[in-house]
Amino acid sequence: MFAYYFQLGLRSLRKNPLLTALMVLAIGCGVAASMTTYSVFRATANNPIPQKSSQLYVPQIDNWGPEDAAENKGEPPQAMTYTDATNLIRDHRAKRQTVLYPVSLSVVPNDAGLLPFMENSYAWYGDAFAMFDIPFLYGSAWSVADDNAHADVAVIGRTLNDKLFHGANSVGKDINLNGHTYRITGVVDQWNPSPLFFDVVNTNAFDDTTEIFIPFTRAVDLKISTNGNNNCNKDPGQGWDNWIRSECIWLQYWAELPNTADADAYRQYLNGYAAEQQRSGRFHWAPNTRLRDVTDWLDYQKVVPQEAKVSLLVSLGFLLICLINTIGLLLAKFMRRASEIGVRRALGASRKEIYAQFLIEAAAIGLAGGLVGLLLTGLGVIGVGLVFQPDIAKLATLDVKLVLLTLVLAVVATVLAAFYPTWRAAQIQPAWQLKSN
Amino acid sequence: MQIKPILAALKRHKAGTLLIALQIALTLAIVCNALFIIHQRLDRIARPTGLDENNLMAIQNRMVGVEDKESGPLIRADLAALRQLPGVEDAISVNSYPLRGGGWSTGVHLNADDKKSKAHTTLYFSDEHTLATFGTRLVAGRNFQADEIGEADPKEVGDPAVVIISKALSDKLFPDSSALGKPIYIGDTKKPSTVIGIVERLQVPWNGNWSDTFYDNAIIEPYRLVSTFTNYMIRTKPGQLSAVMASAPAALYKTNRMRVIAPKNGIRTFAMVRESAYRADRGMAVLMGVVCAVLLGITAAGIVGLTSFWVGQRRKQIGVRRALGATQRDILSYFLTENLLIGTAGVLMGALLAIGMNLWMVTQFEMARLSVTYVLVGVVALLLLGQCAVLAPAMRASRVPPVEATRSV
Amino acid sequence: MLKMTHLSKVYRTEVVETYALRDFNINVNEGEFVAVTGPSGSGKTTFLTIAGLLETFTGGQYHLDGVEVSNLNDNERSRIRNEKIGFIFQAFNLIPDLNVFDNVEVPLRYRGMKAAERKERIMHSLERVGLASRAKHYPAELSGGQQQRVAIARALAGSPRLLLADEPTGNLDTQMARGVMELLEEIHREGATIVMVTHDPELAARAQRNVHIIDGQVVDLAEDPRFHHSVMAARANSPA
Repeated sequence: MFAYYFQLGLRSLRKNPLLTALMVLAIGCGVAASMTTYSVFRATANNPIPQKSSQLYVPQIDNWGPEDAAENKGEPPQAMTYTDATNLIRDHRAKRQTVLYPVSLSVVPNDAGLLPFMENSYAWYGDAFAMFDIPFLYGSAWSVADDNAHADVAVIGRTLNDKLFHGANSVGKDINLNGHTYRITGVVDQWNPSPLFFDVVNTNAFDDTTEIFIPFTRAVDLKISTNGNNNCNKDPGQGWDNWIRSECIWLQYWAELPNTADADAYRQYLNGYAAEQQRSGRFHWAPNTRLRDVTDWLDYQKVVPQEAKVSLLVSLGFLLICLINTIGLLLAKFMRRASEIGVRRALGASRKEIYAQFLIEAAAIGLAGGLVGLLLTGLGVIGVGLVFQPDIAKLATLDVKLVLLTLVLAVVATVLAAFYPTWRAAQIQPAWQLKSN
Repeated sequence: MQIKPILAALKRHKAGTLLIALQIALTLAIVCNALFIIHQRLDRIARPTGLDENNLMAIQNRMVGVEDKESGPLIRADLAALRQLPGVEDAISVNSYPLRGGGWSTGVHLNADDKKSKAHTTLYFSDEHTLATFGTRLVAGRNFQADEIGEADPKEVGDPAVVIISKALSDKLFPDSSALGKPIYIGDTKKPSTVIGIVERLQVPWNGNWSDTFYDNAIIEPYRLVSTFTNYMIRTKPGQLSAVMASAPAALYKTNRMRVIAPKNGIRTFAMVRESAYRADRGMAVLMGVVCAVLLGITAAGIVGLTSFWVGQRRKQIGVRRALGATQRDILSYFLTENLLIGTAGVLMGALLAIGMNLWMVTQFEMARLSVTYVLVGVVALLLLGQCAVLAPAMRASRVPPVEATRSV
Repeated sequence: MLKMTHLSKVYRTEVVETYALRDFNINVNEGEFVAVTGPSGSGKTTFLTIAGLLETFTGGQYHLDGVEVSNLNDNERSRIRNEKIGFIFQAFNLIPDLNVFDNVEVPLRYRGMKAAERKERIMHSLERVGLASRAKHYPAELSGGQQQRVAIARALAGSPRLLLADEPTGNLDTQMARGVMELLEEIHREGATIVMVTHDPELAARAQRNVHIIDGQVVDLAEDPRFHHSVMAARANSPA
């Protein structure tokens, strides 16, 4: 029977090509707008490290006091001072931990004929590689001893390794960064979490891959200042040493806490730490700390751009209007065939069969709308670059999942829209036709 | 036109009437808010930077293999080379510039003991060539003199004796007079800086929501920052921009090869800077514009579709009316009035919905309040749209011949 | 075959109750050809729609082929319409979007018949009404008489036990009407039970039995000499 109804549906759609085109186009536009904006939303709302997102935490400590916090809904600053970060590292209360900040490192090639070039770089602790599940192509992270020795070691990315060493195993070789020589301990395989959860404060959460990692202890020795944000609530005084000891915040901190008990214990530790700072006279206020896991942190940092949310909402509203439009047009289309329905009912079609016939016709419209929508979504995904920053736009892709979702959404939405008109069609009494004559 | 019989007829088409009204209401709500977003974004894009944008370009430079402290002479050599280039009007090294996206900001106090700052501002650090390079006009006071310019590590910048500020900042600090010659305290310092010049306009480096309250407040401090990272801003003679875009990096590499000028965003004309800064705003405006247009089209088409259906359904009725003496005009105005009634109900619902939607977005997305003008414009636009959409089917209805009354079915 | 006892049908509006049928009794036996006559508004068509299960009734009983139908649900009623009853409407009621073949196919589709059997039945019944060559034509391309013959073919295709016709010739000119009538008689001779509503005494005269309805009730023809007379007169005039 399905084939019969499908065939009838197509025939009926061919009968008023204009009305059909209108419905198909409306559904196509609505679905395409929703899917295009959804593709961006999906990319930005992605969980970049699902296997560990509930084990990795960002601690925050209020070192500026309630006056500054009041301007930010009572939240502590979103970055940390050198003082607090190194104290937390020293106390070593988590399974693994790291402090990190973006540095600007230029690679000076051995070949004097080549120009220096820059790569995205971070200074952090060796623990970070295991914490963030970073895959290694060659070698491994540097050791705790290296961290403690402020060693001249580096881990580089696969792309940089391809560029400098033509993909060969470069572990043990030297690399010249800003005129200093570092020994390579490992080469990271493809790793570009999106959003860039470990440093959303200094990136806009979407950036190119990081190609160079050096020990935090070494970077501080070399007085490499942050390539990211530095915020001071008062004048830090002059020079590096004053700055490092100041209340300026410029560091991100991550702790790995395998279970909730660990996290609770860490929360207590943070409050205890802040209380201790209060006792020692550094803080003149009660402890105000936070501990957020990856998902909460991304949420709090509003990683999903406002544009992505607003345009998704507007698109869904748009789809809703298209569906209301479709309800009206389907109603007109179905009711125009009242006589046909009356005759079919008289010839023995039950209500169920009328439902089947018209819902299948609607599904055919939905499918056509979905195909048009797919085409428009394809164009939309290409056009995403017009609305969003290139780093975000390139994340929006038309993959198999999106294709299926587009078609399913179109068909389901249209069939839902068709329920009322179909119900009306099924209410038509078989006798009605005889009477009107 | 009698409204009662129309209402009576609509009662028999409850579903269709409700659907059209609902569609009009939702369309109005979305179109109002979309237009509002478009207007806001376009307003932001239209904000002038105060720069001579057509002849400006920026180079992002990173010295390699030297410490911050050693980069002073290198920067001076770069500037000398750039200023000598043919086609170059002037050039500076500066920490940031309007629309760049990152820079320094701080509060300004009028007294050393004030707890709260009087205004928020951005800080630009550069030398006496700044005004000539930016192309911003001095409206009061004077420019820096060469002997007032200092050199400092970014972490060791002191409080300058003299500063130039933007007019907007001057107005904010001294609403009733001019800031010229007056002392101001930049940050939480005890040492005042004297305002020696006021420029017509100079925008902050940011263009997002957070800087909206101080987007025209700027202070130029007479320091060349000594850092391995710097931005060179170059103003070319008219028509020379593309030539200098090619010659400037070559000149820099000739001066000193140990540097990185990123291939991606290292060298940009100001037009490129503007384009990338406002990409999201313009894109959002375009997106909303497209959504509005398609939405209005679909709503109009929906009205045409449903009205055509009604006309088809009522052919006999129309024929009878005609037979009983209704003129073509009567039939036409019947359908126009009917649409106006439905449309009015729709826009009333829609106006409420538009305002409600905006209020909700205000709480969710740091958006501004919708002005009533938009709602009114939207209401008129949708009523007109409805009337235009219904015109074709209504004309067809008016042409139904009276003989239709005698036909069966 | 068809038996109604004390059947009533009331149309209710907010203000009035109208009896379309009142204490209505009729019994049609298997193989009969009954003509139902009566003035307009007498309840003829209401009787037919109830007989065809197109509409429910208010009171009384209706046995169709031995089954009491008042308690059947929509599905069961649809099933009976589809398998036991064939309809012939005054306005033909062909589906304009479907061609002749597809129109005849409609009831067979709802019966869930295999394609081969459907085709055989369709062609057979089209041959019977003499329109096999027009299978691919659309209703709009046929004359009124041809359209009614397609409608008859559609009614026959399902081999119904009971054929209900509502003014089958009402929209046709005399010559076409005669052809349709001859077809009905032929079908009756082959064993179908036919109930035909008409206000044309000449047609009524060609049926085996006449039932006259006035004000929603069956009137005994023998007690109405005027009508009896007109029927006799029509019989005398008819060529058969």
